[in-house]
Amino acid sequence: MNPSFVILLVIIPALAGLACVPLVNRLGVCRIIGALGFALNLVLALSLLSPDRALVTQLGGWAAPYGISLVFDAMSGVMVAAASLVALACLVHAAGSLPDPAERRYFHPLVNFMMAGVNLSFLTGDLFNLFVAFEVMLMASYGLLVLGRGKAQLAQAYKYVLLNLVASAVFVIAAGMVYGLLGTLNLADMARITAELAARDALPAGFTAVAVLLLFVFTLKAGVFPLWFWLPDTYPTCPIAITALFGGVLTKVGGYAVARLFPLVFLVGDAGPVLQQIILVGAVLTMAVGVFGALAFRTLRRSLAMFIIIGVGYALFGVAVAQPGAIAGSVFYMAQSMVVMAAAFLACGLIETHLTTDDLRDGGALQKTHPWLGVLFLVVLLSIAGLPPTSGFYGKFAIIRDALGAGFTWTATVAILAGALSILAVLRIWCSTFWGPEPAVLPRDADARAAALARVPSASGYAALVLLITASLGLGFLPQGMVSLAQSAGRQATTPGAYVAAVMGPVAPAVPAVPVKPAKATGTHAAPADASHDAPQPPKAHLETHPKRPARTAPTPAPAADPAAPTVPASPAAEEFHVRLPATPLAAAPHPAEHRP
Amino acid sequence: MTFVMAVCVAACVGVSVYLLLGRDLKGVAMGVFLLGHGANLSIMAMSGSPVLPHDKGLSPSNLKAAPVLGKHVPDPALAGMVDPLPQALVLTAIVIGFAVMGFLLTLLIITNRSTGTLVVDRLADEPVCTTRTDTRSEPFQPAGALS
Repeated sequence: MNPSFVILLVIIPALAGLACVPLVNRLGVCRIIGALGFALNLVLALSLLSPDRALVTQLGGWAAPYGISLVFDAMSGVMVAAASLVALACLVHAAGSLPDPAERRYFHPLVNFMMAGVNLSFLTGDLFNLFVAFEVMLMASYGLLVLGRGKAQLAQAYKYVLLNLVASAVFVIAAGMVYGLLGTLNLADMARITAELAARDALPAGFTAVAVLLLFVFTLKAGVFPLWFWLPDTYPTCPIAITALFGGVLTKVGGYAVARLFPLVFLVGDAGPVLQQIILVGAVLTMAVGVFGALAFRTLRRSLAMFIIIGVGYALFGVAVAQPGAIAGSVFYMAQSMVVMAAAFLACGLIETHLTTDDLRDGGALQKTHPWLGVLFLVVLLSIAGLPPTSGFYGKFAIIRDALGAGFTWTATVAILAGALSILAVLRIWCSTFWGPEPAVLPRDADARAAALARVPSASGYAALVLLITASLGLGFLPQGMVSLAQSAGRQATTPGAYVAAVMGPVAPAVPAVPVKPAKATGTHAAPADASHDAPQPPKAHLETHPKRPARTAPTPAPAADPAAPTVPASPAAEEFHVRLPATPLAAAPHPAEHRP
Repeated sequence: MTFVMAVCVAACVGVSVYLLLGRDLKGVAMGVFLLGHGANLSIMAMSGSPVLPHDKGLSPSNLKAAPVLGKHVPDPALAGMVDPLPQALVLTAIVIGFAVMGFLLTLLIITNRSTGTLVVDRLADEPVCTTRTDTRSEPFQPAGALS
């Protein structure tokens, strides 16, 4: 498959959004354009997905460290596919649930632009481009957030808007600092340089601080513990289709950014254990706060919003464990969580049409009148909690298994407890809406309640819900394809060399610009052709694609002292492109996962 | 020059933090804009040669050249060229900041029209629920207390 197709995943929603702008008053056309675009994206992403292939396209044909790379590998591909599915379902649901005036207020262009930004932030391989993608996504989401202009919506929107604006400024500062420290903004190039520097124990001062700044930005978007408070206030104020889209997709972008950047670039050398501890503490507190919030809130929307936060906690926990299996679990869990959280909010929308409220105290006995909605909602809730036949199980299982294997006993215990309590929380929600006794209704409200119960919700609402639930059940009962994709993503995340080789090309990663200075002193390695050297010389390709593995047996060999250090053909192109890089071959970089007792 | 830049960034960020902590949303918006300017200035301060150990075979004179030129500066007249990338980054950030400023000011105007205030304390902190018009402020009445 031509890797250039990857760019279509960004271009299709962007073009669809542009096409919707002049047609914004013709809702039927807009709906068809949007639905076709998201369906096309979904099909394209699914057809490009493959566990053992990373499609890389360099925008404009500029080579990797200077141009912008788009990387479609197992991790980003799974996220793009899940996000497209969620967007399609939310669009279908919105066609039936969103009031027409609100839909005409540029709902369709904004959704399409937001998905263009979301897909770009999944695919991009460049730190500053990630900032731009975030901004595209955020600008559209600001618009969607205040769509309809409810009073509460406007009042609560400031939390989201202002926090994200501050986070954007911090992101700009952090990106500038990364460029100042490392001289590059390409993620693969950053990974290569930090691995080299960590191997030489020469990480620049302030490296950890920059990583923490970026962690602040991403965890704010994801809703991780100290920065979670805006989420249950802002998301529930929107119309329900938009809440479902936000709750499914937006937080996962932050989680994905952590899962992509930190194992690849920042969890190296001295910085690794420090950052790992920070992420770990954040993840554990996020799970705890999320599950208690889900138990405590009295409205359905807020309770569901807290389940988003629990999911982010699990995903981050897997990243902090930094084992291939745990990261695979995280990727699986994030994709699954996108689908089921969106499904839960869409089901919440259907329930609200019958209850006229999302207050849990006004619910109850809905199972009598709407048994099928109750069954669908129960399936969604159990998928969120991760009961074994449903799709939430594998992700949590893989994360907790690897965490226990790697010695994270206490944190894994908290994760298991959070899982148990989240089952309690979902049962509380389901019982108080469907199973429990009928609510105490004032006599004057009885007629209104009966009328609301008899209200027929739109068919598109059910269609969207069934679409998402089918996908979720498919993940639960036929998980092989998804599991192999997730495991491939986990392996890629823990071996940054493969990502670097895929993005920078087969030659670029291991070629230093200039021969190593101490090697020059010995006089043996300066010649480009070194075939006569008697030391067994590992094939270059091996070093390029598996640069991390020798670290275990020979920790951090000084390149000069190693007689087998590969000499490098001094190609002029390589000198041109790598003048700013340190001049040792990509040597053993200790990955934090390998040094754990 | 670095010192001047550092003072400018510190002034921008300091004032913006003061404004961000205020209660008037107009001031908060100004704080956000100033924070953006501080961020842009800090990128300019970061430009130049990277803080990598330069001693491994790269002479400092080569590193001062803009990276797009590569190791061999094709024309001596270009030797003094500064690194253009941070300026491109700042330009992008300024454009995005401009769009954000437009949105935020619009949001302020709409909020003022719809709620009549721009002070955070007076913005209604109602229970979050869009589908229900009456807010449930009265305490929950158990079933036995009815009728």
